[in-house]
Amino acid sequence: MVGLSVGEQHFVKGGIAQDLRTDGRKRLAYRPIYVETGVIPQANGSARVKIGGTDVIASVKAEIGRPSSLQPDKGKVAVFIDCSPTAEPTFGGRGGEELSSELALALQRCLLGGKSGAGAGINLSSLLIKEGKVCWDLYIDGLVISSDGNLLDALGAAIKAALTNTAIPKVNVSAEVADDEQPEIDISDEEYLQFDTSSVPVIVTLTKVGAHYIVDATAEEESQMSSAVSISVNRVGHICGLTKRGGSGLDPSVILDMISVAKHVTEALMSKLDSEISAAEACEDES
Amino acid sequence: MAAKPGAATPTYSPKLVGRSRLPVFKDSDLDWSRPDGRGFHQCRPALLQTGAVSSASGSAYAEFGNTKVIVSVFGPRESKKAMTYSDVGRLNCNVSYTTFASPTLGQGTDHKEYSSMLHKALEGVIMMETFPKTTVDVFALVLESGGSDLSVVISCASLALADAGIMMYDLITAVSVSCIGKSLMIDPVIEEEGCEDGSFMMTCMPSRYEITQLTVTGEWTTPNINEAMQLCLDACSKLGEIMRDCLKQAASPSDE
Amino acid sequence: MGLPDSSQVLSTEMEVDAFRRIFPLRFFERHLSESLRPDARPLGKARDTIVNLGLVSTADGSALAKIGSTTMLAAIRMEVMTPSADSPDEGSIALEFHMPPICSPTVRPGRPADAAPVISKRLSDTILSSGMIDLKELCLVSGKAAWMGYLDIYCLDADGALFDAALLAAVAAFSNLQIPVVALNDNGRIVAITGGKDQDNASIIEKKAVNKEKRKLTLNNIPFSLTCILHKNYILADPTTEEETIMDTLVTVVLDSSDHMVSFYKSGGTVLASSSAIKSCVELARTRAKELKQILGEMDID
Repeated sequence: MVGLSVGEQHFVKGGIAQDLRTDGRKRLAYRPIYVETGVIPQANGSARVKIGGTDVIASVKAEIGRPSSLQPDKGKVAVFIDCSPTAEPTFGGRGGEELSSELALALQRCLLGGKSGAGAGINLSSLLIKEGKVCWDLYIDGLVISSDGNLLDALGAAIKAALTNTAIPKVNVSAEVADDEQPEIDISDEEYLQFDTSSVPVIVTLTKVGAHYIVDATAEEESQMSSAVSISVNRVGHICGLTKRGGSGLDPSVILDMISVAKHVTEALMSKLDSEISAAEACEDES
Repeated sequence: MAAKPGAATPTYSPKLVGRSRLPVFKDSDLDWSRPDGRGFHQCRPALLQTGAVSSASGSAYAEFGNTKVIVSVFGPRESKKAMTYSDVGRLNCNVSYTTFASPTLGQGTDHKEYSSMLHKALEGVIMMETFPKTTVDVFALVLESGGSDLSVVISCASLALADAGIMMYDLITAVSVSCIGKSLMIDPVIEEEGCEDGSFMMTCMPSRYEITQLTVTGEWTTPNINEAMQLCLDACSKLGEIMRDCLKQAASPSDE
Repeated sequence: MGLPDSSQVLSTEMEVDAFRRIFPLRFFERHLSESLRPDARPLGKARDTIVNLGLVSTADGSALAKIGSTTMLAAIRMEVMTPSADSPDEGSIALEFHMPPICSPTVRPGRPADAAPVISKRLSDTILSSGMIDLKELCLVSGKAAWMGYLDIYCLDADGALFDAALLAAVAAFSNLQIPVVALNDNGRIVAITGGKDQDNASIIEKKAVNKEKRKLTLNNIPFSLTCILHKNYILADPTTEEETIMDTLVTVVLDSSDHMVSFYKSGGTVLASSSAIKSCVELARTRAKELKQILGEMDID
């Protein structure tokens, strides 16, 4: 928890009103973003993203599973978030649980798209190995190491980077088997498949402080927010998910305005993130 | 409490805003019709009733098509755990399903996701400072799930809160819209939710014209979002009227 | 509500209300000495009872029972299962009684109510021992397939006499139960037949229909129950929650439609029941059983 004195609160709010925030940024400017991929060798893919003082790690693990009977032609993806007590002492024990599940839910909403799979960042059909029998189960784990605001955006970026970094072994399925039996599978050690992450959206959170809204709020700024809207936008500019936090209501026109601002911000963020991720991947290949 | 199909149940379908195009019917979706024969922008009849549970401080029963929900409000009462002193009250929400709520045999369980969404939708509208140190519990039970469950739970909860006499800035109304292909369908039923390309749920305070909660999934273009929002706003304000009437009705006999 | 008439002067009304809260036992005893209860009922009279059938469209049989404000919703879902080796030609019934947090201020989410499992057990004992349902009727193919009935009873509003209301809802749900049509396919598996009832008989016979059409169960000896409170020399039928919390000796009598006693339950309590008190309880239960039989009978005509 950030405890700000009345004077500090005025300073933060006043700065935002005058488009000059306490760290010198403008309202719609991000802090520097740093991306590192392949940080966890055991995982199929992983990445660490730092945005200012916020530091998160995402890992992707793939396991062979069985498609659910309701969607026999799709693989499964699960998102888990853990808020480490290193980020904030109150996260110890079960303290971070509420925040963790809220973040996981928001990420699931942003990444997995609608029920029919439209707008999904991860194409679930591509995880299928054999219809109704075998598929990949993707476990996406996010870990918040240090928290200085804007966790959702950072986690979204880390997951995008981790998915880019993910290599899934090629699987060969033995010839036809009877209806009831599981087919034999052979997991290749050499051939790997890469994910197409071009459709993974990026998440932009607009935090409303006073009459204005800002991107990439720090923890100090978040403590002064009245509400926040997280919007995930994909490459073609379609909205893939939207969640609102904070109790106070917003005028419909403000929300629409926020959406259009978010779309605008996303374009720059998307290309920035892409170049960071590819740089990180190149760096990892060299080493 | 039982559904009495006596008086005609009111609907809250939004009026078709004057749009120049008729986008829905022109494309390949021409022969798509909704499972219950409604128009795309037609809501299910809304049956609302307060005072469904006598042992609660306030309660409401809502029946929107096959979606049947009971919400009870208890409190303000002593906070459950030994929690630290708080100037403002606390809100505790829980949504659970009966074992026979949905056609597929499942376990009736607590719905954590809906519980937290209900909490978020309500926290902004309740005047928490009016019951310091205490907790208001809002418990919902979905008797039968027929689609748009969360929106029905939220609207019903706000009615139950009003019935309990908890101070609020406004009533909360919630409406969902599903996007299938190029069509937008308001108040989707469970079959539609199963194959939707995107879902849009909005809760708002109709008199204050403010949105308290908004969730969007799937893929949406900006014009679609605009349209969905207009539909929801209009439906929300109409639903608000129905809820107000329901409260007035419940209040009038006691004046005798 | 059982509150005093609101036409009274506010100050006296407040006094009565305060008296009721501070000295609940004296408040009740004052009423009892006049042979009247705070909700204007005579001692031996049960509250108004309503039964509604078939409210849950997702279930094969359902009923809503209301005794006073106590409300129970029961729903049965049928599933095909393999019968146990001990009784190859019998189906089975799994009963569960739920008290969701909405029903009472004493139930909190995450912690099931203490009373729920007790009532659950007593209900299933009563229903199975009463012989109301012939489990052999639930058999499809001996040793291979039989019906499993999942009966879930939800308490929507708890205001005393939970067992009575739950049993009534359960019985009504069974009377509403329509066993779905199933057939045996070539692989020896049971498949549900959707769409046709008995119109497309041809296709059903082809598939060796096990059930030719939706059918109802024959209910033999329907159990009816009445819970009474014993307090001093008074016997109060069909208590409310308030009465149950103030006076704690409860006696539940279950009689079947031919007036045989199915079960008798007295859960300790401070009052020791004399045999004459028990006789009066049974007598009250007999009257109540007739009432309930009539209420259920009216349902069947519809």
